[in-house]
Amino acid sequence: MTRSGTQHQRRLLGVDVGGTFTDFVYLDAAGTVQIAKRPSTPADPGRAIIDGLSALDWQPNEVVHGSTVATNTLLTRTGAPTALITTTGFRDTLVIGRQARPDLYALHPVRTPPLIPADLRFEVDERIAADGEVVADLDIAALDRVLDAIADSSARTIAICFLFSFINPVHEQIAARRARERGFAVSASHEVLPQHREFERMSTTAANAYLAPVMTSYLDQLEASLAAHSTGVDDVLRLRIMQSNGGSLSAASAGRNAVRTVLSGPAGGVAGAFAAAEEAGFGNAITFDMGGTSADVALCPGRLLERTDLVLDDMPIRTPAVDLHTVGAGGGSIAWFDQGGALRVGPQSAGADPGPAAYGRGDAPTVTDAHAVLGRLRPEQQLAGSVPLDIDRARLAIATIAEPFGNDLNAAASAVIDVVNANMARALRVISVERGYDPARFTLVAFGGAGPLHACDLADALGIPQALIPAAPGVLSAAGMLIADITRDAERGLHITLDPADVGQHGALSAAFGEIADLARTAIAADGYDDGVKLEFAADLRYVGQSHELTVPLAQVDDLAAIREAFHAAHSERFGFATPQTPVEVVTVRAKARARGYQGGLSAVAPAATSAVDHEVPVVWDRERLTRVLDRGAVAHRLDSPAIVTQLDTTTLIPPGWYAEPLPNASLLLRRA
Amino acid sequence: MTTATAPSIDPARLAIFDSLVSSIAEEMGAALRHTALSPNIKERADFSCAVFDRHGQLLAQAAHIPVHLGAMPESVRAVETLTPWQPGDLAILNDPFLGGTHLPDVTMVSPVFSESDNQPIGYVASRAHQADIGGMAPGSMPVAEELIQEGIVIPPIRLYRQGELVEEVLTLILRNVRTPEERRGDFAAQVAAQRLGERRIAALHDDYGAERYERTTAALLDYGERLTRAALQDLPHGQWQFEDALDDDGHIDEPVPIRLVLTLEDDRAHFDFSGSAPQRAASINAVAPVTRSACYYVIRCLLPPDTPMNGGLFRPIEFTLPQRSVVAAQPPVAVAAGNVETSQRIVDTVWGAFAQILPERMPAASSGTMNNLTAGGVDPRNDRPWAYYETSGGGLGGGPEGPGLDAAHSHMTNTLNTPAEALELAYPLRVVENSVRPDSGGDGQHRGGHGLIRRTEFLGSARVTLITERRSGSPWGAHGGQPGAQGQNSLETTDSDGQRILQPLPGKTIINVDPGDVIRLETPGGGGWGEPGSRSTQRAVD
Repeated sequence: MTRSGTQHQRRLLGVDVGGTFTDFVYLDAAGTVQIAKRPSTPADPGRAIIDGLSALDWQPNEVVHGSTVATNTLLTRTGAPTALITTTGFRDTLVIGRQARPDLYALHPVRTPPLIPADLRFEVDERIAADGEVVADLDIAALDRVLDAIADSSARTIAICFLFSFINPVHEQIAARRARERGFAVSASHEVLPQHREFERMSTTAANAYLAPVMTSYLDQLEASLAAHSTGVDDVLRLRIMQSNGGSLSAASAGRNAVRTVLSGPAGGVAGAFAAAEEAGFGNAITFDMGGTSADVALCPGRLLERTDLVLDDMPIRTPAVDLHTVGAGGGSIAWFDQGGALRVGPQSAGADPGPAAYGRGDAPTVTDAHAVLGRLRPEQQLAGSVPLDIDRARLAIATIAEPFGNDLNAAASAVIDVVNANMARALRVISVERGYDPARFTLVAFGGAGPLHACDLADALGIPQALIPAAPGVLSAAGMLIADITRDAERGLHITLDPADVGQHGALSAAFGEIADLARTAIAADGYDDGVKLEFAADLRYVGQSHELTVPLAQVDDLAAIREAFHAAHSERFGFATPQTPVEVVTVRAKARARGYQGGLSAVAPAATSAVDHEVPVVWDRERLTRVLDRGAVAHRLDSPAIVTQLDTTTLIPPGWYAEPLPNASLLLRRA
Repeated sequence: MTTATAPSIDPARLAIFDSLVSSIAEEMGAALRHTALSPNIKERADFSCAVFDRHGQLLAQAAHIPVHLGAMPESVRAVETLTPWQPGDLAILNDPFLGGTHLPDVTMVSPVFSESDNQPIGYVASRAHQADIGGMAPGSMPVAEELIQEGIVIPPIRLYRQGELVEEVLTLILRNVRTPEERRGDFAAQVAAQRLGERRIAALHDDYGAERYERTTAALLDYGERLTRAALQDLPHGQWQFEDALDDDGHIDEPVPIRLVLTLEDDRAHFDFSGSAPQRAASINAVAPVTRSACYYVIRCLLPPDTPMNGGLFRPIEFTLPQRSVVAAQPPVAVAAGNVETSQRIVDTVWGAFAQILPERMPAASSGTMNNLTAGGVDPRNDRPWAYYETSGGGLGGGPEGPGLDAAHSHMTNTLNTPAEALELAYPLRVVENSVRPDSGGDGQHRGGHGLIRRTEFLGSARVTLITERRSGSPWGAHGGQPGAQGQNSLETTDSDGQRILQPLPGKTIINVDPGDVIRLETPGGGGWGEPGSRSTQRAVD
């Protein structure tokens, strides 16, 4: 059974399960959007979803879920016992890694041990050379003995990674078949990540093998619960999972491709923020999500950028992910003086417990306390969780760092904001200027509890002309999931030098693109989508002799000269120069099959007015100024600075020199006056 | 005693300015790494980038390679001979006795000009380990006696004059190296990083204004100085001695001692290396900047984790370095191994002194060698010359917090290994084994990390140079722990009867290998920490 992407009876739910809250954005058949936030149930994350649906009396027939199951399973090491089979001589690759220590100047450097312990790492004689030639045949008898040994162990899931399998997978295919015949769950590296560099491929494959059983059982159970919830509803319920790269895939596929979901939640935020910008007519966005302990930034130059160099807890995870950078700067980040007398903010955070002093339990001076002292966080609007703001306690906390500022609390609080802004500006510079993108051509999309407090300051620091605050900044990740396209990726490593005169190479490249296009299309069809599916291509390219690749989107894959030109242009944009006389090499080809998600826009997610506040109070900016404070729902026209806009889940600052105007899609645009 | 005064600028501005200059050094590093051609720079990240004020004081350094820490400011000092500067000028050098470290490390320094001034307002510098810079062996890390054997020596000269490439200089250099096209590409990447750094520093300077920029850079350096002084003040005060030794110099089979008297007094440290071995007609000689780097590295390890890196940090540190010794070499001796091996032993010596001062805090000795393998020849696949350089990690010392890391680089280097799948595509080589060397970590309450076994097969004839250490001496244990296992080198080859044989190789050697030969490196384990008996459970390799 398949269905098209255009049906009007869709009842869509985007649900983002976070550590503290589970966010819901629901679009009913009439096109009405509703949002909700409920406490998460970390021991059984699916329960918050089912309980929420029951309490809210929603009957979705399509659920898109951002799941932290993969990430948490990796970080807490609660995956399935996993075995590794690899080429003789390479069983310790997961330990050795790239032989670097994580911290150059640590007195006692530590590395997270690999997912697979020594007694579950096995070697089999076989060898394939760099050109794909079989140098030594696979020793089948030895393979069977290894499978016997694994059968006697606790492991029921196996990662298989042989050298150069991305060029010639024949040995991995044989090994995977024999292992599957014996009932093992298998992740083979040529299927998980057919790309060169054995450590990175092995690490990604091991993570997939380790996660797949956990993810599969979680999703099976959630699907069953959702089915039970929708008993009596006539149509079949479909569950999709957000992938790390901002597309979604079916629950069944997500189980087998679990490693592709490690950035599931944050990807929803980036996708939601980028969609909000596009909807407002701004194609170039920098997304900025600031919460309690950290800030995530991502650059979207007309599209979601993907990265393939993610490292999680010392483990490379090379499947595509949104190009997100995280910095330890949040509302709860603690201000402190180092031994040289410089004011530092973070990475230590007061977190949710005890939290900033302003929330009544902590004592350490935090970014949130600095805002409270300056009058920028308002007691009129109680924040999420309904904690009353304790300004006096915030002042006591900031007083502990005020001495070098002549005990001027306002100066100390402003300094805290300046330093945390500098930390975040550095992250923004890394993703924009350092890659050759001019921030002046971008819109900053700020969300998360603290993002809109810092949007204008950061825009000023980077020379970004405007900032956008989406309508519901507190549930943007869930909104991003709701609108996420359905995507399936396929990639393949190879080594082909682009020489238009070489017909053989041309044929090999076309064949590779054809093969992965089929893979991607078949995969998305198996997920239930074969109508209106679009194929997108990209290639990882480099100059011959270089060892880092650039992923370049390709409008077509037949004209080798045009592919080369696209690479020269991308190299020039990213690094400031191109060397057109140097031969260009293809290292990986990529295909993405895309079926469109919900297309209706999210303008309906408009915040209702939640308070009648609209008055003027003194607030400290460059100096103390009378500042208008009003509810987000009440912003109907251009709003001049200084002003503070409050809503349930965030506070937006419009500092002197800026103004705000509401857009038709209910987001707020901040511009320099 | 000079103590840096309290901040002359607001404490928030210090952190903000540090963030700005540090991100410029990092951006230079990112540009160099992404645009370089050779795996050595791109995959292994064997380079550093730094920015300086107009007095040549280090403002920030992208922390890639500790051995470059104390040496980058020397490069800026060395190019003073080229003044007056013009905008667009760019100097190149690798002379270890004039601002360099060893010949493969090619350094570029360029002045930064602002709109308003005809004097440089600062400098940017980059240093990258080139895979070959000529000399008697491919990879330019030979077992040599004189500097001149190790490669082409480039004193500080202009590579660019007012933005124009000085073609003759480049032509001369490229004619003296084995892989000129790769060098050309890597030089171009380095130039691109320099130009980027120049633009960024000029923009920052203009943004701040000359007076405020000057005041802020001075405050940043004072701030670094305060950080070190505060840390030194907190250490026990007194005088300690430690001695360690290199196995040999590669020619004469006897240990080469390094001796240290360390004095900690008030908020200052004094490193006195008097009594260390005289320099040798060999490549194990370290130039003074390398020795200072090794000491700075240990001090930096004792500072808080997120300490910024600038020249102020090292102001409270004084040295007595005996001239014409292995820790302060003078011409004409060779120095290639001084940078990579002697620097590690200097760290061990300093580390050993601190292990007496802080027995509950300092881990035992790590493997103490970079296990340098260089090789080259003509690729049978395409008849082109190739040159390959790789360093391998070993075991790290066990410490109070737990066992040492297995198979990792320690102390003065942190370069990545080359993946087998990248290596075999690029060179006529096959990695036969890359595994953890069992039971090589020293026993102790917390064992030392295990070393590595790396076996590389040659698919064509090649000339191979090994410069390795801790083959006759051992990484020492601390606080009652046992030493780590010594390393071992061997050649797996076929004898005249067609039998496979294992032939032991010295720690430092140059040999010719035939197709099918395998070089086998077993690298040292780290020393153990604490009495072995006090360990509760045996910890397996994992």
